[in-house]
Amino acid sequence: MTASSPGLRCGFRSLIGPLVLRPATKDRLRFLLTVSGIAVGVATIAAIRLANASVLSSFSDTVDFVAGKAGITVLADGPGIPEAALERLAWLRRAGATLAPAITETAAAGAADGEVVEVLGIDPLADAAAREYSFASEASDILSIFEKDSVLVTSVFAERNHLHPGDFLPLVAGGVERRFRVAAVLRPTGAARAASGSIVFMDLAVAQEAFGKVGRLDRIDVVLPPGLSGDDRARFEEEIRASLPPGTTAGRPERRTETVDRLVRAFRVNLSALGLIALLVGMYFVYNTLSISVLRRRTDIGTVRALGASKRSVFAVFLAEGLALGVLGSAAGTALGVALAKGALLLVGGTATELYLPSAHPALHLDPLVLLLAFTVGVASSVLSALAPALEAAGVEPAATMRHGSVEAARRRRTRPLALVGSALLVLAFLATRPGPLNGLPLFGFVSVFLIVSGVSLLAPAVVTFAAARLDRPALRLFGVEARLARANLTGSLSRTSVAVAALTMALAMMVSVAVMVGSFRTTVATWVGQTLASDLFLSPASGRSGPSFGRIPDEAIDLVRAVPGVDDVDPFLAFSATRNGVPFTVGSGLFAFIAKHGNLPLVDGRDTRVVFTEALGKDEAMISEPFAEKFRVKVGELVELPTDRGPVQVRVAGIYTDYSNDRGTVTLDRAHFQRLWSLAGASSVAVTLKDGVSPEEGARRVAAALRGRFALRVRTNATLRKIVLRIFDRTFAVTYALEAVALAVAVLGVFNTLTALVLERRREIGLLRVLGTSAARVKRAIRYEAAAIGGLGAGLGALAGGAMSLVLVHVINRQSFGWTIAMHTPWGFLAAALGLVLLATLAAASRPASLAAATDVAAALKEE
Amino acid sequence: MGARVIAESVTKSYGGGRGAAGVDALLGVSLALEPGSFTALLGPSGCGKSTLLNLLGGLDRPTEGRVFVDGKDLATLSEDDRDAYRRKTAATVFQFFNLLPTMTALENVALPLLLEGVSLADADVRAARGLLDVGLADKEHAYPYELSGGQLQRVAVARALANEPALLLADEPTGNLDSKTGEQVLALVAGLVKERGITVVMATHSAEAAAHASRILRLRDGRLEP
Repeated sequence: MTASSPGLRCGFRSLIGPLVLRPATKDRLRFLLTVSGIAVGVATIAAIRLANASVLSSFSDTVDFVAGKAGITVLADGPGIPEAALERLAWLRRAGATLAPAITETAAAGAADGEVVEVLGIDPLADAAAREYSFASEASDILSIFEKDSVLVTSVFAERNHLHPGDFLPLVAGGVERRFRVAAVLRPTGAARAASGSIVFMDLAVAQEAFGKVGRLDRIDVVLPPGLSGDDRARFEEEIRASLPPGTTAGRPERRTETVDRLVRAFRVNLSALGLIALLVGMYFVYNTLSISVLRRRTDIGTVRALGASKRSVFAVFLAEGLALGVLGSAAGTALGVALAKGALLLVGGTATELYLPSAHPALHLDPLVLLLAFTVGVASSVLSALAPALEAAGVEPAATMRHGSVEAARRRRTRPLALVGSALLVLAFLATRPGPLNGLPLFGFVSVFLIVSGVSLLAPAVVTFAAARLDRPALRLFGVEARLARANLTGSLSRTSVAVAALTMALAMMVSVAVMVGSFRTTVATWVGQTLASDLFLSPASGRSGPSFGRIPDEAIDLVRAVPGVDDVDPFLAFSATRNGVPFTVGSGLFAFIAKHGNLPLVDGRDTRVVFTEALGKDEAMISEPFAEKFRVKVGELVELPTDRGPVQVRVAGIYTDYSNDRGTVTLDRAHFQRLWSLAGASSVAVTLKDGVSPEEGARRVAAALRGRFALRVRTNATLRKIVLRIFDRTFAVTYALEAVALAVAVLGVFNTLTALVLERRREIGLLRVLGTSAARVKRAIRYEAAAIGGLGAGLGALAGGAMSLVLVHVINRQSFGWTIAMHTPWGFLAAALGLVLLATLAAASRPASLAAATDVAAALKEE
Repeated sequence: MGARVIAESVTKSYGGGRGAAGVDALLGVSLALEPGSFTALLGPSGCGKSTLLNLLGGLDRPTEGRVFVDGKDLATLSEDDRDAYRRKTAATVFQFFNLLPTMTALENVALPLLLEGVSLADADVRAARGLLDVGLADKEHAYPYELSGGQLQRVAVARALANEPALLLADEPTGNLDSKTGEQVLALVAGLVKERGITVVMATHSAEAAAHASRILRLRDGRLEP
């Protein structure tokens, strides 16, 4: 018979009711659990991907709107494009192109803690040809920003901040507040749509002056003459590159989005991996539900087979059940995912923008492709999980006479081969930790984690059997005959119980490994913060609500702080962003003499910081951060190339210091050396040490008093900054805890599901136990012991697998993703509490099945055949 | 020493709530069984044999009438006492053997002993002796699915006798066996209970099986035939 023959279709239609629909309606709880298991997995994946796509699309929108009609954009690869670059590109104007130079900055609007807003400094004469501006009032035009200290605001921003033409808008950047007059309001089209409307336009010269960028540009947008062929454009691009000064790059505007995508990729991959774990638990649910229904309907399947139903139609019926569960769960999950995406957007958006794009204002963008992908993944994985049970159903002989025991016995024979495959996977997991990252991602590390989870899951039946055999008699002596009943159930339904153990193992391993990883990371960071944050006070520009600071503290402010009575020493830190082969990193500077004096920057190789920094100072050498060394594979003694206005400069690396403040990687030079190369003034932040006898609080008060009214700087004491660092750390990892909690809850529900199913399956045996004189209380106890055994074995295996996974996470995945060396630190207290909680939850999950078992109608159960 | 069993006008009805007509499985059945006697309840399916056995075994309570075992009214027993009654006094052998599929033969036989609080070592020794008595000394570690029907029923008999009950209730014990095996099992049971003076009540629809009993009571439509 072929798959499409009328017989199969007929068989399928007549079987779906008695074998699937009616039992499903009778067992609504399990049906709901299964559907919700898949839904949670699909929702997690959908939410993370939607949030991620929204962040990227908001960023690429901003890139597009700012780029306007530009075919080629010239960007700074360093502290800024020298204005002289415009002269070198003057030939473009003669060739019919337009050059629109611009300054892009960020500022806090209204007050030091106000809304973060993008600032675009433009040349009004050239810009109208490059970007689209549409004015709310016909009387206004772009030239209105020629008026002194005038800005154009978007209608969105104006409404939010109650601004009208003629009003004053204070903008705070680099620790200085300036007042601007609103010259006109822009309609939300063209450039006004960038950063979701949180953008202010001002004259180029005003922006250069306000942001300390006199003589420099951040970008030049080139609008090419119309009607160019692809070849012509390429030639233009080539010639533009040739005429650019050093420290600048030219290319299509969209490449910046690619850079951002690369930046948030590690973050996204980590979250998606967690989403996959949730889906894995969902798949377990489908497998569990279907294989239990196959087992419970063995007799029915045998009967319909005896009545002439083909193997194929039985197979199709159960696969269809998996498909239906998958479709329902995935549909619910996709809907839930959209709801969750808003929350995930805050997490992904919050963390990603904080780390990488301080001015992004991501709005939820419901990408139908993402939704379709999540839905498809959900359906496909549940059909995949339905395969084995469907095959098992198809294998039932007509008028099945096989008893439960013999079915299980056949499965028990698979224990050893499964254990062998499991062990082999563990060996492969170890081997997968050896290779380096692939395309910058720790893919082999993830493969290793996946292999550990799979390997340990396959070992679960062997472990259950082994533990049951070894512990039977001691447990019986300790806990009485109920322990033996529990043991008999555990091994008697090995295919069910070992899957429950495996699911719990997976969830716990995930929890343990992430807890160890986060714990290790946190301890390492706390130690590092303790070592490096040795100064008494830290000053940064007031930075609006988003947190990260922007703009530069002027030299006058630094001098003012240095002169405050009680201030001993001042270390200004100044940095800018550059790229190396398209990958961004930071060029920073500090006073090497200050670090040499305080010795507060630990070196990776353990050498004395004071000695190394003193030597580097004398030889004009650089220090690099560990992520930089990892990311670009640079060693001590090698040369790094840095972009300057005069062309690339090679600097020798004197040492590598530990740095957990960013994963981009930093090259740090002494301030004098740095200023010789880039002649930049000011500081991104300033560390201050106080004289003996001046308390940090008193010092902070004095510094704040000296700055008041002149500079908007944030002054933090050492203790406050440490607290903030750890608070940011904890908030960043809150999402991982939330996802773990989901996986764990689903696994505990799985234990409930398994136990309920097993109780229903064993009604007859329970009836028999009651006939033999077993009290209801003892039956309950036996079920609880069984749950405890499942919980205990899951916890034990989970702890072992989790331990192995945490090694991979810490030493392979983290190192390859971020370039950080982390010292292992196991949070024993947390783990003990968490494992205890899981055991309690497992026991709690057993209470309804136990009551169900105790309430078994003895005479009726024994009558069932 | 076997139990003395007395049933006084026992009636058992099922259903009948909310105005629906109930079904009477037993109607005014009275009987008195001497200690050590072997009684067969003979009758077709649905005549009330199993219902009567359930009442005698303390699995169910009569709608009307009373059941006394060694002078104790089963209806007055608490739930705990009924559990203890099933553990110690009244053991059952079923048509479908009802061994726990997840336990070996030895563990199945040892189970009632362990439930009664016998130590593990003693329980194992006594269970092994029980299996020896039914001729299955070599099947101690076999699981039920590895045994034949006759062997399964012999393990069930050993389990029923493990706690040395005073009353053995057998519900169609040969119903699922071929006639030759059935004969062997019945001969075994008859021999063992005689030796130990246990009171036996066996429900059967087979006249040949009933022939092993010293007394035959015929049951039809829930009533004992005179």
